[in-house]
Amino acid sequence: MNSVILNATNRLLAGLLIIFSVFLLLRGHNLPGGGFAGGLVASCAFVLQALTFGVASARKLLVFDPRTIIAIGLLIALLSGLPGIMDGLPFLTGMWDKTPLPIVGKLGSPLWFDLGVYIVVGGICCLIVFSLGDELEEESNPKHEPDTKEEEI
Amino acid sequence: MGTLLTTSIAAIFCAAFLAPWIHRVLGSRAGVVLGLIPLGAFVAFASMVPTVVGGGNVRASWDWIPSLGIELSLYVDGLSLLFLLVISGIGTFIVWYAGGYLNGKKDLGRFYLYLLGFMGAMLGIVASDNLVLLFIFWELTSISSYLLIGYYCEKEKSRKAALQALLVTGSGGLAMLAGILILGNVTGTYEISKLLAMPEGAIAAEAAFPAIFVLLLLGAFTKSAQFPFHFWLPNAMEAPAPVSAFLHSATMVKAGVFLLARLHPCLSPSPLWTSVVAPIGALTMLIGVFLALGQTDAKRILAYTTLAVLGTLTMLLGLGTDLAVKACMAYLLAHALYKAALFMAIGSVDHETGTREVDDLGGLRRLMPLTAAAAILGALSMAGIPLLFGFVSKEYFYKALLDVPGPRGLWEVLGVGASVAMVALAATAGLKPFFGSLKPTPKKPHEAPWVMTIGPLILGVVAIFFGLFPGWIGNQLIGPAAGAVLAEPTFTAGLKLWHGWTVALALSVLTVALGAGLYYLAPKIRAAKTLYAFLSKIGPERGYEVILVGVLGFAKWQTQVLQNGYLRNYVMTVGGFTVLLLLWLLPRNEFTVDLSQMVPTSALGITICALIIASAFMACFVKSRFAAILALGVVGLGIAILYFLFGAPDLAMTQILVETLTLVLFVLAFQRLPLLKEFSKLSTRLRDAVLSLIFGGVMTVLVLVAFHFKSSAPPISGFMGENSLPLAHGRNVVNVILVDFRALDTLGEITVLAIAALGVFAMLKLRPSTKSKGDQP
Repeated sequence: MNSVILNATNRLLAGLLIIFSVFLLLRGHNLPGGGFAGGLVASCAFVLQALTFGVASARKLLVFDPRTIIAIGLLIALLSGLPGIMDGLPFLTGMWDKTPLPIVGKLGSPLWFDLGVYIVVGGICCLIVFSLGDELEEESNPKHEPDTKEEEI
Repeated sequence: MGTLLTTSIAAIFCAAFLAPWIHRVLGSRAGVVLGLIPLGAFVAFASMVPTVVGGGNVRASWDWIPSLGIELSLYVDGLSLLFLLVISGIGTFIVWYAGGYLNGKKDLGRFYLYLLGFMGAMLGIVASDNLVLLFIFWELTSISSYLLIGYYCEKEKSRKAALQALLVTGSGGLAMLAGILILGNVTGTYEISKLLAMPEGAIAAEAAFPAIFVLLLLGAFTKSAQFPFHFWLPNAMEAPAPVSAFLHSATMVKAGVFLLARLHPCLSPSPLWTSVVAPIGALTMLIGVFLALGQTDAKRILAYTTLAVLGTLTMLLGLGTDLAVKACMAYLLAHALYKAALFMAIGSVDHETGTREVDDLGGLRRLMPLTAAAAILGALSMAGIPLLFGFVSKEYFYKALLDVPGPRGLWEVLGVGASVAMVALAATAGLKPFFGSLKPTPKKPHEAPWVMTIGPLILGVVAIFFGLFPGWIGNQLIGPAAGAVLAEPTFTAGLKLWHGWTVALALSVLTVALGAGLYYLAPKIRAAKTLYAFLSKIGPERGYEVILVGVLGFAKWQTQVLQNGYLRNYVMTVGGFTVLLLLWLLPRNEFTVDLSQMVPTSALGITICALIIASAFMACFVKSRFAAILALGVVGLGIAILYFLFGAPDLAMTQILVETLTLVLFVLAFQRLPLLKEFSKLSTRLRDAVLSLIFGGVMTVLVLVAFHFKSSAPPISGFMGENSLPLAHGRNVVNVILVDFRALDTLGEITVLAIAALGVFAMLKLRPSTKSKGDQP
């Protein structure tokens, strides 16, 4: 897509979206937000990049393969359940630090869990959009037979 | 002791996961190093022998899902210990052997992973105190068996055999799970040690007992390849030799026998036990030796004799007398020793000569002396020649048969008949390739590397040792094991090599004499190929194939009907089914529509609703697809605003985000769709309109009457709201529910999402663009 407006706004928006997504993630425990919403917002930054400059550029921005990201997110969510076990409590019991940190607030294993959710959701959206995007970019040199079936609505 | 037990099993699993890496680093020496871990476990288990002989047991337990009575609990008594030692001891040699047998294969690292993973699961089965835990390990062995049988995955035959083994043992496993759940419901515990401590006959007196019995038996019989599920085992011989030696003779197939033995005190007081288990065991035993006589492939001969032995063990457990159980345990140990040795030796012969056809092999004893020595010891033990442990176990087998209450003759004849065939088969598979004149083979034979000869040789020597000192092994292992099966902790085996001029001894002599005679007839039987081909056509395997084809056909049909690839049909199916369900349910309840309970809404709310309705209509009637997508976007955003107005900001935000991404996905996919040139026929549009109206109408009614259907229990939202801050330190209840109160659900959901995303990826990326390399048969 060649759009000057999209090009210009994307440069501004991508960073803001990421910051906003982290903000959503951190405030989620007390105010609207959380890992799911945060992950969706974060993926929007990369989706926007893919729409503006192509999927290859968005992949480069993301550094890791979306599949790796999903796996890392699942692992973090899984590991966040372990502190409870260490104390002899059931898996995924929320464990909290006594002293709150500045800005972030009290740290606890649910935040790590939410971080896992954030990463998984972001990774999933990127994976689906990138895969679809690749498909579209292949259209320019079509390998597959075009769909000739009559389409009803 | 409990820690030692847990650590040993955990170490095997750790070794499994590290194996591919270790193999990459150490190359061909990896097998020797990896084999040290089961060896360590063997030593650890051996250190438990004095405790168990003293009548004690080893336990370890953690809470897992206490609310369901499921615990990670391990329990070792005599029976478990016998199996633990067999699995880890033979397992050590198998890992070493595999390193030589599959040396240079690129997937060897993966093979070690499966093999050690299997070993851990098998140890888990025999050490589990909880039936649910046992089931999990049980399924793990089925899965690793599938992966191991299919190791040569480029061969279609391997894949087919692997799938067959998985489907047969897997369906049995499901039946067993059902049996376990009923048993747990009826008795109120899944702990085996508690079940065994119940008064004798208590479980057999339950009304649900026949169901429990049949379901558990299905699990045990499929796993241990009892008739009519026996066909998967010989087919599993497509696996590499170490797998056949380990899974399909020495250990995994004995899991079914183990389950029967483990639950013997609970199940055997019922008359069902003797009338079902013993005859099926006897039938399997006879079918096993009969089919074995028709084979020309040494490995398949061994496979069918394994079948016969599994039948024998089941039969002995079914008879269930003290002597029979003792004989069963001794026979089990003797078989594990000689069969693993024979499988490994025949594997070496195949590896070095390139053939396993008994009629093409001969005179290998000079070229492969060590392998020959191991095979000869194995064959002699299998034939029950004195001084080897196989002789002692067969003596007790005969004694047990002579001791069965009831009419004389039947069991003895069956037992002697099967043993005679075993003598002939032992000579055919274990002796014939090594004696006589040397025959030309595809490869020029030479001795196998030491990692492949040490295991079978040591097993052969152990068979001699146990054969010479049966009393010692009887006291250490067999007695405690039989005692556990009989629920008599003070039981002593008192195995003896010599117990005078008895009928059993006379039968043994007769067996060897008749067996030698049968050996000379064997080539003629092997030549009767048409008979065996005919039998395989009408055997139960045919039934398996018919079922498989039927299920596949049904799956294809229903996929074409339900999963036809048209999104609009999916929407129609889901909507239509929901409507039918609701139309069926709603009139069955009395309800009134109480409009007074409705919350008054603002002018803004009404405006938004009007906007949503208008956009929905627009989506139906516009001529451009893009406009329709945008109109649907308006509907979604309108709903988000409604959420917001009713005090659900989290939901609203998520709705907006999902709406945005859906729009992007739509636009992306939309470019691939053809232009809207042709519109649907009027009749289609009318049908859709009617369906939509009905769906909308039913949903409206549902919402209006929803107030009426209040559960008698207090709503859970109160608890969540009150405890969110004090318990979970969060004011956002939605988020607290997601990441704390219901975190396990969320974990499951994100896992499902991840799998779905991988599915999308696979469908888009991995589809074959052109017809690529097909199956090489």
